[in-house]
Amino acid sequence: MSPRANERQARILIVEDEPMLAFVLEEVLIEEGFEIAGVAGRLETALAMIESEPFDVAILDANLAGVSAGPAASALTVRGTPFIVVSGYLPEQQQSAFSGAPRLQKPCQPDALIAALRGILPSR
Amino acid sequence: MLAKSSSFSALHEENAELRARLDEANEMLGAIRGGEVDALVVQSADGPKIYALQGQDAENNRFRGEMLAQVSDAVIAADSEERVIYLNLAAERLYGFDASEALGRPLSEIYQSRWPQPEDRAVAKTILYKCGEWRGECIHILRDGREMNVEAGATVLRDTTGLSAGTLSVVRDVTERKRHEDEVLVSEVRYRRLFETARDGILILDPVTGKIIDANPVVTQMLGCPDTRLVGKTLFEVGLLNDEGVGHDMVAELKRANQIRFETLPFESPSGRRHDVEFVANLYSENDRPVIQCNIRDITERRRSEEHVKLLMAEVNHRAKNMLAVVQAVAYQTAKFGDPATLADRLSGRIGALAAGQDLLVKSQWQGVEVADLITAQLAHFKDLMGARVLADGPPALLTAEAAQGIGMALHELATNAAKYGALSNSEGRVRIVWQIIDDPKPTFSISWLEEGGPRAEASGRRGFGQIVMGRMAEAAVQGVARITYGAGGLAWTLTAPLDDALASAKVGP
Repeated sequence: MSPRANERQARILIVEDEPMLAFVLEEVLIEEGFEIAGVAGRLETALAMIESEPFDVAILDANLAGVSAGPAASALTVRGTPFIVVSGYLPEQQQSAFSGAPRLQKPCQPDALIAALRGILPSR
Repeated sequence: MLAKSSSFSALHEENAELRARLDEANEMLGAIRGGEVDALVVQSADGPKIYALQGQDAENNRFRGEMLAQVSDAVIAADSEERVIYLNLAAERLYGFDASEALGRPLSEIYQSRWPQPEDRAVAKTILYKCGEWRGECIHILRDGREMNVEAGATVLRDTTGLSAGTLSVVRDVTERKRHEDEVLVSEVRYRRLFETARDGILILDPVTGKIIDANPVVTQMLGCPDTRLVGKTLFEVGLLNDEGVGHDMVAELKRANQIRFETLPFESPSGRRHDVEFVANLYSENDRPVIQCNIRDITERRRSEEHVKLLMAEVNHRAKNMLAVVQAVAYQTAKFGDPATLADRLSGRIGALAAGQDLLVKSQWQGVEVADLITAQLAHFKDLMGARVLADGPPALLTAEAAQGIGMALHELATNAAKYGALSNSEGRVRIVWQIIDDPKPTFSISWLEEGGPRAEASGRRGFGQIVMGRMAEAAVQGVARITYGAGGLAWTLTAPLDDALASAKVGP
């Protein structure tokens, strides 16, 4: 699928503590024509980036090195930035901070992730 | 008088007289027996004594004899030499002797006594002769050897002058009662012990008043007050039911259903700690008197452990899914770079490296992995070379789970690369793996893979997945910096990271 014009500049924040997954995600997103706003592997880094970095969408791992990414989800909601939750937890094991956001189960297919991303991308 | 006689005729005369007297006596006895005599007059030194055989006294005697024969207790009298002089019908039956057989026999032939304590016999005798009577319990052994628990009362018989003339005993067989009492006692002791040592709290309530009658130690501990303060109170008053109405409803419901059960009943202990208890009440009757027994089990720990298991299950699920995602990513990347013919080998090697890291983490309950153990696990294929061509050296250092995975994967890639192109591809090359903790200028952990004696290493034009794993993957795992240099004798790799990001000692938990 070729990127549409309005997606060329879409900037994505990756919040993922697993370097291997963050790396692959980055590769896939770049191939699909997105721009990477940054990669955060820890909650503090993610919160700092949500506060200061310009980006359009975030991909959020629900658990960051044993810490819930709930506060990052709340910060994104406050900021009004859409996000996708990627998690190995079952929906019923999930915290309420993530409710409302599209959810993908790990491991997820890159195609499914891209489709979900396009679904929540704010139209410009 | 006979001694004075000397002649045969005198003897004969005397004999005839004695015979006549015997006949007279027999005749009189017959008359007495036949009721023809009203009274006897006996000449004595003090003058004549009259013994009435008919009328009021005789009637009394007969009545007494009849009465003694009728009573269900055994009555047995003995003279001062302990020979049987009387026994009633009950005594005949109890001891298995006919009166004709028993009269005149020593009492010890009728039964033998056994006392709870050997000295009791003497004590009983002393009491009997000092006080004139004794009451108590002992065991009578019958002539057939049977033992019988008896409750006995003995009184001293006295003649008209007040001297002891024997004893009169009234004996009752209490063997059955005794056995029953023993059973009740054993049962009581047994159930009291169960009650006292039960791990559940047990309360006994009066269904009429709803008040506590008895409480075992578990309950007193649970409620934090002694049973003396629990007894007489309602469940509501001791804080077990948070609603007084529930207590009344419970009694009504119990009367209808005989049992009620609350799976989880919250209550607050006096120390303010919240407890969850399982509460089961049963209504049953105790000697026709209804009582409510409440069994109370503190399930706070069980609930907590169930919650913990749920949490662990979620964690296991999360980690398994995460690992599958990593395997998926590794598979994509392995397929993207390198020769398709060796894909399966390269992929299974990398999955094996991931699995080895997992094993070590599980062994340490996710607390971390010692560097030396990680090297041994990741270089398992080269264990023959360990200590010879592969030397590992460094201080004890416990890596975090993330660091262990990042460094472990890098070590796998370094070893695979060395075996294919580097210092382990020939017969003389060597690898030194060294790690250290540096305090100055900042607390830092560094680990190096240093090849020597191998073919000259050269950076390949295209960066493969192996390089990515050794490079930015390892860096991201420890928030550190990886450097790869290519020298004459092989490759040199060094990863440097802030101590807190690499080692688990400063961190707690996964």
